[in-house]
Amino acid sequence: MSIGKQQGQRPLSGELQFSVPSVVAAAHELKAPLVLIRQLALAMQQNDMSETERAVLVDRAVLTAERGLRLTSDLTKSARLEDAMFEMAPINPGAVCEDIVHELAPLFAAHERTVRVKSRRHPLLLVANRDLLHRIVMNFSDNALYYSEPGTAVELQISALQKGAIIRVGVRDYGPALSSDMWRQLQSKLSSGPQAVHARPQSSGLGLYIASLFADAMHGTIGAIRHRDGATFYVDLDASRQMSLL
Amino acid sequence: MSDSRHIPGQKVLIVEDDGWLAHQQSRALERADFVTRVSPHAAAAMVEIDDFRPDVIVLDVLLTGNTGFTLLHELQSYGDTGQIPIILSTSLASEINLEDVKPYGVKRILDKATMKPDTIVAAVRSVL
Repeated sequence: MSIGKQQGQRPLSGELQFSVPSVVAAAHELKAPLVLIRQLALAMQQNDMSETERAVLVDRAVLTAERGLRLTSDLTKSARLEDAMFEMAPINPGAVCEDIVHELAPLFAAHERTVRVKSRRHPLLLVANRDLLHRIVMNFSDNALYYSEPGTAVELQISALQKGAIIRVGVRDYGPALSSDMWRQLQSKLSSGPQAVHARPQSSGLGLYIASLFADAMHGTIGAIRHRDGATFYVDLDASRQMSLL
Repeated sequence: MSDSRHIPGQKVLIVEDDGWLAHQQSRALERADFVTRVSPHAAAAMVEIDDFRPDVIVLDVLLTGNTGFTLLHELQSYGDTGQIPIILSTSLASEINLEDVKPYGVKRILDKATMKPDTIVAAVRSVL
């Protein structure tokens, strides 16, 4: 299942600035980390806490704030997509994924999960804007953290499609199988953009919507695959022909 | 708010998909001598309810997968689980009318954005 140009729903980047449902969705998505940080701070005020416990809560507050800040940064970026010039260059997605794993390892460890790159013997190159690709994969990884089971590993996978013309960067999580109903809801979110809070079950799909804007800006598409034990969210981008750079 | 009906060891099931938030709620309740368990989603909660037999359920509304409302419907469809008092703990408190959800066993609605650690303890005591 993919979204974007193929389905004739190219979202306008400015839409995020003015659409009331988008603003409501953004407010709701940001409320969750703020609520948690507030609760952690209130807990830290209590006197019956060991230094070790307090250190854990401080760590959680920092990691939660960082997740919220990533969303605010993505929102700002997505609202300015049309005004910006993006350098498209041959990129080794494996290196981008390794950076993300390094960046997210503490967050995943704090949630009793791991994140890793499924390594390839021969690196594949794609054409992308490094910053936007980084944001998309970070977004998928944050999403995977939320939906994966404790103790499992989230895998960043890179593969070639269409005889090497397309490179897919996917984030595979391992958790409960999505029911048919949930899958239909997810499809709806992927294709229709963020919805007002009262119109959706647990998430507005804002992160996925932003990822689709970033992918669209790079002439790519995002999509998802449902597995019996989880899901893969991916972005497909044109392969680079500049293999000589290797 | 009286806590005279609170017997130490009474059981509270927390249905909350944010593990860190659930931990804070659990910690506050256990400091007040409640026994707690956490379920991250509605399906797990149904299994836990059978096993744990909670005296109170603290329920988030926007859960991963089926929403808290789905669980409310499910609980009401059985004679025994339909009697368990429910406290909604949600970021949507301002959008939910208590009168609308009372038929589903909901006794209190807590706003996650304004609640303090002791708020959940007081709320649980109030519905026992």
